[in-house]
Amino acid sequence: MPNILPSIRGSVMTIALRDAREQLRDRFLFWATLALVVASTASLVTGAIALHSDAATYAAARDQLLALGKDAAAIAAPEFYPLKLMRGMIEQVEIMGAVIALVAGYRAAAAERGRQTLALILTRPLPHWAYRLAKIIGGMGLAAVSLGIVIIATAILLPVVSGIGLGTDDALRLALTWAAGVFYLTVLFTLGFGLSLWARSPASGLIAAFALWILVVLVAPQIGDTMDPDNQVAGGVFAQLSVPKAEQDRIKAGFAGYETFRNGIEVASVTKHFERFTFAILGIKDTYTGAPVDKVLAEKRGDLLFLFLFSLGLGGLVLLRPINPDRLTKES
Amino acid sequence: MTPSRLLARQSLAGLMRDRSVLILVAFFAAMVMVTAWLGWSATNTVNAIYADAAQYLAGAGQPVPSNPVGQSAPLAVLRNLGVYISLIGTFGAIVIGQLLIEADRRAGTLPLLGTRPFARRDYALGKMRALGVATGAMMAVAGLISVATLFTIPSLVVRSADLARLGLFLILGWAYITTFGLVALGAAARMPATASGLISASVVWLVVTFVLPELTANIHPTASINPVSTLAATPDSAFFRVTSTLLGPVSLSEAFAWLSGDLLSFLPDGLAPRGPVPPLVTLPLALLLAFLFALRSAAKLDLTAGGPDA
Repeated sequence: MPNILPSIRGSVMTIALRDAREQLRDRFLFWATLALVVASTASLVTGAIALHSDAATYAAARDQLLALGKDAAAIAAPEFYPLKLMRGMIEQVEIMGAVIALVAGYRAAAAERGRQTLALILTRPLPHWAYRLAKIIGGMGLAAVSLGIVIIATAILLPVVSGIGLGTDDALRLALTWAAGVFYLTVLFTLGFGLSLWARSPASGLIAAFALWILVVLVAPQIGDTMDPDNQVAGGVFAQLSVPKAEQDRIKAGFAGYETFRNGIEVASVTKHFERFTFAILGIKDTYTGAPVDKVLAEKRGDLLFLFLFSLGLGGLVLLRPINPDRLTKES
Repeated sequence: MTPSRLLARQSLAGLMRDRSVLILVAFFAAMVMVTAWLGWSATNTVNAIYADAAQYLAGAGQPVPSNPVGQSAPLAVLRNLGVYISLIGTFGAIVIGQLLIEADRRAGTLPLLGTRPFARRDYALGKMRALGVATGAMMAVAGLISVATLFTIPSLVVRSADLARLGLFLILGWAYITTFGLVALGAAARMPATASGLISASVVWLVVTFVLPELTANIHPTASINPVSTLAATPDSAFFRVTSTLLGPVSLSEAFAWLSGDLLSFLPDGLAPRGPVPPLVTLPLALLLAFLFALRSAAKLDLTAGGPDA
């Protein structure tokens, strides 16, 4: 007897593609991507303008020194690495991208519950986990396309605002940033989807997801950032005190316990791991500026692994937790 | 009892039964509790670093600069309070604002309310009164916890003038979060789809908090939620001079951050507010505009619609 039932893989792909088509049809993907592109390019352009302003200030100071017959080496020339201008884009993905992913996850659950199609789908010969897997794959695809467009748009704009073209090494760094970003956004999508699927009403799930977003994406990194002594003083406390590097390290060693606690709060957030990895791979963090990709990958393997395992763990949790039969509709 | 007061009481009773609202308020209260400790701990660490560095510089025969923190004002330990009000407090206000309309719509009570002998304006005013009381209660909780923690931290001498400044700061915090709550309330009244008010008001809040500071002063999103980093001068360039002049008056999060720094005594010396309009004007003006938007939207709400499947 021929097998008339669809395979699980086929069903999963059908549901994932249907979700993608729906996101395209109601223009959610368009507006979400556009919002992220606008926020990211605004960051890029304002960053470039501020850098041009610094360069002009340096040039004026240097000219003045030379006119006075003094050595221009007395003032430090601003260093310029185009990928550093991506900092604002990364931070917009961290915060705005995360919200968009949460809302997309909410919509993936709310649409099915609101139209009463969730109960209908579950009458099909399809395991519940396969349905949830299809939704997560659909969300991952959405994140991949949306983030891909954002990164391509900013990469096209970068040479225009910086005057320096990007090489293959830069393209590789951007590709790794994209991959890490897709995992990060998938985590947020899964969170929004899972909570909106399990909650009494999808809107309650969205509120809970937003509250977790505030805690994980904003508050935890913010506490760590605020506790950083260098962020208590404009320009950094050691720079203000003009203390040499060796002495800085000695002083910092005396605050190891404080620093461990501060770092512990930061690394509890998946956002911080995404930020640390991308800041290193793009050379935004000074200690990694110009470092070869393989060296950065070796040193930041832990952050990438955390992102991967966290998304896997959260995805697994959503797959394992059964759908409550009493919560198949919009209001339960 | 006036109809608007009756509606406000009924709405507040509903809010107090809502678990999402209670969890958010508890979360807000918990963060207010750790605020003072965070500020105190960070200041202590910088002071200790300064003492260590000063000893080294003096030993090396180099000039010892003055302590760059120099925050002796007791209220400065509460510098994170403004950030938590603008993040958790504002989100709480947005949730409350949209729930005040959406709860009636989903429960199907709108048509019932429509049969009662009161004007739609009373309905709108009742909902806005409930929002104002709820956000006021959040600020009262923040005030009580802040005062209690200020008095428990050793070595802080709190004067009555400090408490007056804290009181004024909390009133402005109330105005700030209520503005976004009113936007959510108005948006929920205008858009019947589930969670539309929540999502649209959140978009406005995100743009105000994370996009406008980049345009006015190149302040990146993570810096914009750091109470010290966000208080940076406008970059010296023609572009930022124009954008800060044009967008400064609507950059409410920067206005609130500046007022926080000023009232809690951690504003860098000589730092001017963003744009030509003082923040003490822009915040109340924003509240007024949000009030008019919410009043108009809620007064035009379709009272015949509603129900779980709406």
